[in-house]
Amino acid sequence: MSTATLPATRVRNGIKVPKQARDYVRIGLWIALVIVMVIWAMPLLFVFLTSVKSESDIFTTSSFAIPGILDWENYTEALDTGNLVTAGTNSLFIAIVKVPLGLFIAAAAAFALSRIRFKFDTIILGAFALGSMVPIQVALGPLFKTILDLGLLNNPVGVILPYIGFGLPMQVFILHGFFTAVPKEIDESVRVDGGGNLRLFLQFILPLSKPALAALFILDFVATWNEYAIALVILQNKASQTVPLAIQGFQSQFTSSYGPLNAFTIMSILPVLIIYLLFQRYFVQGMFTGAVKG
Amino acid sequence: MRLLAKAAAALATVTLLAGCGAGGSNSGSGVTTVEWWTINLTAPAANQAIDKVIADFEKANPDIKIKRTPRAVDAHKDALRTAIGTSAAPDIYDYWAGPGLGGELVKANASADLTEYYKQYKWDERFTGAALAPVTQYGGYHGVPWKLNGEALYYNKKLFAQAGITQTPKTLDELNTAAKKLKDAGITPIEFGGTVNWHVMRLLDTFLEGKCGSATFDKLVTKKANWGQESCVTDSFTELQTWAKDYFNPGFIGINNDESSALFYGGKAAMALEGDWFNASIAGQKMNLDDVGVFTLPTSTNRLYGFEQAQYITKDSKNKDAAAKFLDYFTSTKVQQETLGLFAVQSVNKDVKPDEAKASSLDKAWDGVFKNAKGLYMNNDQNLNQSQTREYWRIQNLVATGGLDPKQAGAEMQKFLDSSN
Amino acid sequence: MTKLTETRFTAQASVPQGRPQRKKNLVQRIGKGGFIASLPFLAPALAAYVVFVIAPMISAVRLSLYQWSGYNTDPQVFVGFKNYIRLFTQDPVFWTSVQNTVVWVILSLIIPTTLGLVMALALNQPLVGRNLFRSVFYIPGVLAPIAVANMWRWMYNPNYGVFSEISKTLHIGDGSGVTFLSDPKVAIYAVFAAFVWQVAGLNMVLFLAGLQGVSKELVESARLDGANNWQVFRNVTLPALRPTVVIVMVLTIVHSIKVFDLIVGMTGGGPAQSSQVLALWSYTQSFLNHDFGLGNAVATVLLVVTLVLVVPYLIWSTKGADDQR
Repeated sequence: MSTATLPATRVRNGIKVPKQARDYVRIGLWIALVIVMVIWAMPLLFVFLTSVKSESDIFTTSSFAIPGILDWENYTEALDTGNLVTAGTNSLFIAIVKVPLGLFIAAAAAFALSRIRFKFDTIILGAFALGSMVPIQVALGPLFKTILDLGLLNNPVGVILPYIGFGLPMQVFILHGFFTAVPKEIDESVRVDGGGNLRLFLQFILPLSKPALAALFILDFVATWNEYAIALVILQNKASQTVPLAIQGFQSQFTSSYGPLNAFTIMSILPVLIIYLLFQRYFVQGMFTGAVKG
Repeated sequence: MRLLAKAAAALATVTLLAGCGAGGSNSGSGVTTVEWWTINLTAPAANQAIDKVIADFEKANPDIKIKRTPRAVDAHKDALRTAIGTSAAPDIYDYWAGPGLGGELVKANASADLTEYYKQYKWDERFTGAALAPVTQYGGYHGVPWKLNGEALYYNKKLFAQAGITQTPKTLDELNTAAKKLKDAGITPIEFGGTVNWHVMRLLDTFLEGKCGSATFDKLVTKKANWGQESCVTDSFTELQTWAKDYFNPGFIGINNDESSALFYGGKAAMALEGDWFNASIAGQKMNLDDVGVFTLPTSTNRLYGFEQAQYITKDSKNKDAAAKFLDYFTSTKVQQETLGLFAVQSVNKDVKPDEAKASSLDKAWDGVFKNAKGLYMNNDQNLNQSQTREYWRIQNLVATGGLDPKQAGAEMQKFLDSSN
Repeated sequence: MTKLTETRFTAQASVPQGRPQRKKNLVQRIGKGGFIASLPFLAPALAAYVVFVIAPMISAVRLSLYQWSGYNTDPQVFVGFKNYIRLFTQDPVFWTSVQNTVVWVILSLIIPTTLGLVMALALNQPLVGRNLFRSVFYIPGVLAPIAVANMWRWMYNPNYGVFSEISKTLHIGDGSGVTFLSDPKVAIYAVFAAFVWQVAGLNMVLFLAGLQGVSKELVESARLDGANNWQVFRNVTLPALRPTVVIVMVLTIVHSIKVFDLIVGMTGGGPAQSSQVLALWSYTQSFLNHDFGLGNAVATVLLVVTLVLVVPYLIWSTKGADDQR
């Protein structure tokens, strides 16, 4: 399988002149990949096709048939009857507040754990790491009670706070790894200049960690946008719904209006798709940071 | 630290802002605001009618304001569970009167005993006996009845004729024969949507009432009889399995009631086990009303299958008088006469008479169903509490899909009832 | 403890002193660190973590010993281990959900991981359209699971879904269409297929990252020694991927043990609770059955299972972090 060792020139030749056995393997591999890719793209494609068909087309034509005229009515109907605009606004607000705030808090904690030496740092780091592993659902019941007692049910802050709590462990863990890799000499020079921890953190460690922070920002944005379980418990009225709740609500209310249903799904995933296409390299980087340092 | 402080301040501001939108109940100036939480009514006409009732009431009583918050079924249940006992609780809540639902809330100390108001407004004389039974079953008076829905079998007259069925079935045996005739004629005898659980449940409840008789049925759902030892329970589950296999629309377990109802509207299934609200649903479809008939579930016990919704006043409400005044207006003969047919075919108010001119043939058929009924047996998701209901559904679906021997179903149910308290 | 107190005294004493000394003190503080110095940085995180993660979890364990309907007007009654006894001996769905959770975790450790590794190995080659392949495989991973659930539900639709259409076209089955989601024996695997679709790409990206760490020289020299592709993979690539494999495994366990959204969206645990899993059963007991005691007992079981699976890894990895210093 591993032919990565081939010099680049031979690779290019190889594709143009498919005579050697290894090139046949590669062409076979390429075809196999294309087949798998088609399979992987099918669900999205299929949902999109349904979303632009009229109801009678859905019932009468093949799933794969491309409709003669794209029928965008399903989209307007989904927008009219569903709660997408409100939910989208709520989700955006929650993500815009939660992600930077959560990341900053996580970075500060990771800084303390990686640059300031104290007695229990390993234990605290371990405690954070543990939290990143435990399913949210374990805490749903009591969490609900906590938020109820705080009077934050049906309030965006009621999900932002637990989101921050549950997002921290992973971020602290990853950033800790990243910060540890920043050379200690920087600390020395800051100290010699008479700067304190705050300056070291804000002016040196944070800027140096921009790639990791950017990657985590994007990943966290998507995770926040997609979160369902906590939102399900805390946000119980229509006005406070987030996008995943709106999807589920629409689905259970209009089970058999397949056109608008699929249009709704497409619209709900559009924001994350756009974010993915814009910030593709951060996704890979984020996963990479996590993989290498985590 | 400045950044952190800023962030904290921002968060605090957000909390405050968001809090403002959510709060706000009783204002000063001598006006009492009554918070009223209701279950969504799907028909737009019904919603408009309620809004009009509120507007009329507020006009006559300028010192009382009614604030209505409608929610979907599950959201309503959740909201109530979380709010009861806190300052966010409503003054009036709409709920099903069965022991498993309204009864659970009475048990949880959510509802106020309204005996005083029943005396004051003479409600005892206003409501029918069937309507009063569910609100008096916990001792005292809990809730004010406002809507009693019955369920029965809708059938497609053309398909029945096509299969050579000349008379609507009067017994379960005749129902079986009819189903068999329909199947032999290549017609799906009855439609159900399995994903919602309570749809198929209606047939199982009917079998239990028919095969066990009223007395045993009541003992079973109040845990005074043993599900594992009554042979009629096994018979009922056996019958359910046969029906699911032979007479239901194929693939019923994978679709919901909306999807299965489409089979009835489209003339692809001959029967539908639905409540009186189905009249309105049929009217909205391109179905010829003259082709549709209704007949009582042939349990031979003469009891009506149905359930009641009542308006409960919360125990902690500070506006009980205003709430009672509104409920008195809401259930008055005048209002009930005006809204007849919008919420239910029959009113809970004795003095409300069906309007012959406006009534459709289906409405009239329902009058017969209601009039001939002696007593009421409720849907089992009303009788059992929520975890028992979930188990009942699980066993029902297992039997219906052939995953459990009907002989074991009763014992399985009893085992669960014994373990829960 | 004494060390802590000492540090605090030094810090307090340093405040009123003159500038040069203060500077010196700061240097010391960074050098030796200290809990107090770290506190401003650590406190917000610790507070959020304790209040919204740790405390609810402890509370879940506590509530599992009580009987409570969730209504504020209803008292919480201490019942000891009764909820657990009911769960283990009388709850007809609990063991189904345990079994499904275990099956789900095991299958997740095998199928999407292997698939991700194969995709990564293939895409580690210089191929035409590599980025397109990578994007298409990865995109399902960024979608909301609840959206994915709806997409797949539609594909499984017995009347108009794509699977039914394929089976009818190819004349597979009895022609009544695909009813995967309504078959109690198959439903959970039908949901799992959607899970594979969603997470294989995530694993692929992790493996691709890991593959960057495979030494080119080692591969080259192995090849010069006459090793074939399989031998190179087995003896050079795979050992170098070991850390990545561990991470993928841990993330897979963490992801799969809390599967919730997909099941809610596709089957709701049905038909007849046959696709129930621990995370959803806990939610159902608490929030739908109004039995918070039983629900939190399920949650506690879930917590214990998770800890048993991940604590060994944590000990290993925090030790690693310590060594890095």
